[in-house]
Amino acid sequence: MSEEAPRRVHPATMLIGVLRSGPSTLLAIPALYAAGTKLGLLTSAALILAGLAALALTKAVDWWILTYRLTGDAFVIESGVLHRSRREIPLERVQDVSFEQKPIARLLGLALVKIETGGGGEDEAVLDSVTLAEAHRLRLALRRLRTVASETDEPEAGRTVFAMSPGRVLLQGLFGFSLVWIAGFFAALQTLDQAIELDWRDLIGVARSEVVSHLTITAGLTVLGLALALGVIAGVTRTFLRDYGFRLDERGGRFRRVRGLLTRSEVVIVKDRVQLALVHRAPVRGRLGWQSLEMQTLGGSDDVGGRQAMAPFARAEEAGLVIDAAGLPGFEADALTAVARGHILRCVLRHGVPVFALVAVAGILVPPLWFGLALVPVPVGAALLQRRYHRYGLRGTSVQVTRGVLSQRDWIVPYRSVQTVSVRRTWLQRQLGLATVIVDTAGAGGWHRPEIADVAAPIAAELASALASRA
Amino acid sequence: MDLTIVPLQPLERAQINVLRVRGGLTAALVLAAAITAEIVAAEHLPVHGAIAALTLLAGIWLAWVSPPRRWRHWGYAFTGSELHVAHGWWTQVHTIVPVLRVQHIDVSQGPLERSFGVARLVLHTAGSDDTIVTLPGISRATAEEIRDTIRVRIGSAA
Repeated sequence: MSEEAPRRVHPATMLIGVLRSGPSTLLAIPALYAAGTKLGLLTSAALILAGLAALALTKAVDWWILTYRLTGDAFVIESGVLHRSRREIPLERVQDVSFEQKPIARLLGLALVKIETGGGGEDEAVLDSVTLAEAHRLRLALRRLRTVASETDEPEAGRTVFAMSPGRVLLQGLFGFSLVWIAGFFAALQTLDQAIELDWRDLIGVARSEVVSHLTITAGLTVLGLALALGVIAGVTRTFLRDYGFRLDERGGRFRRVRGLLTRSEVVIVKDRVQLALVHRAPVRGRLGWQSLEMQTLGGSDDVGGRQAMAPFARAEEAGLVIDAAGLPGFEADALTAVARGHILRCVLRHGVPVFALVAVAGILVPPLWFGLALVPVPVGAALLQRRYHRYGLRGTSVQVTRGVLSQRDWIVPYRSVQTVSVRRTWLQRQLGLATVIVDTAGAGGWHRPEIADVAAPIAAELASALASRA
Repeated sequence: MDLTIVPLQPLERAQINVLRVRGGLTAALVLAAAITAEIVAAEHLPVHGAIAALTLLAGIWLAWVSPPRRWRHWGYAFTGSELHVAHGWWTQVHTIVPVLRVQHIDVSQGPLERSFGVARLVLHTAGSDDTIVTLPGISRATAEEIRDTIRVRIGSAA
């Protein structure tokens, strides 16, 4: 393709930009109100208009100075007024093009385009926003320039490996019920109250006498029921916003994931960049046969937890199909070995002692809290089960680890993604003759690493050597 | 019980001196601060010289007693296909870097290390938590030898 003329993003982005800074402009209202009383209505109206005009002007300048174009072998973005910057992305480094459509952009038929490069994170290029047609044109053009030989078929055609119906999303939302949102809701109420200066003390006085006179079990249950209902609604809403219309397509060497109710996002996951698969069975839904599948990719992910959500709410067979499509081996739960017995003791000490200490301190300060000692058997009981659920194995092409009693996780780490192997021994582990084997992979973020905790030291040495030699 | 994955070699003895000088500098700084505090707040202190004395003890530990102990917990081995680095006193860590996973290698020598004739080998991998594995306190010749061997290995794999 020959050189093309520089283009700009869609003019409507100026409007979106002004609307987006709306909320922060609201903060200026008290100041304006004060000004209005002092300066008179006309002057303050003029001030508001001038402010809006200035805002619109900056957005217009932003829009005008950012240009992009495709040259023979690179994608070039230029921006900046005083400090001109020019970013040139060699086309062979373009991995793929992802779209995201926020609500307003969707109404206007626009999409934010992310040009993903091998480096992940910082050196991506973002176009905010162009028409959907232009987005597709760019994607097609970038891909055609990059790989002439292999992929000539339609960009949207692909095999769907996993999709969720609205019913499935609803079910997922019911399990994803969250009290955090309720807390947020009450916090918001509190701030609002302060803003409209309600006299809380009076209200509390009234409320207390009301509550005392009506305090019945039924009332208590009603409040509890309401809280739970709110939690369920919050969970369902959040899940619908995020995962509505979830679809994972596969074509050639990449997955394409589409999801979102108001904000539609389209993300590309290149199979070669997948480092490991992590299956999670949460306490309740896991017992009912539902699990979530995430994959860690080179360069990380913007998703919560730092891994790409591949199947947020799936049956084991469905998750298995996605794992298979990614070219990873299946999880062989039956072929794995349990860690050493000492793991139980270490878990009891690690989970039981802090609870015991906490209760003891509380009990010394407030004697009735000694009853809290009744809580100590809970972490100890969970610790006793830890070993049964912590298993590992070096399988054909991957190291596999499972861990967790209530919240269970399975890792599939292909040997090719093992970067370094470490054996770690704390003082306690040395006394018990144990060691932890740690596998470091690329693009890991957040919590939950595939550690093999507490195997007998000689076995740990063997495991580490075997892992390092296969890496 | 000791963990042996491969037999490990100790670091150069000169590294003890590097650790000592480093510890000594830290100790001198902290001691200076303590003495200043003693002089400035002289009339508010119940016992004169207590802070400085404690700091001096800590300084002696840092500069003289602990360096050989820390040195002893380091060990390394280069097998041709893997680099092993072990260190740590309370929590002991033995890290294995497969040569084929090395992205790039640095041999570096600070002024202090140069004057005691030791160098550090720094391996960068694509990993996340152990993305940089450092082996300090080996002779420059050893560091360069390992670096060159690894470079040839990476070159042949690519």
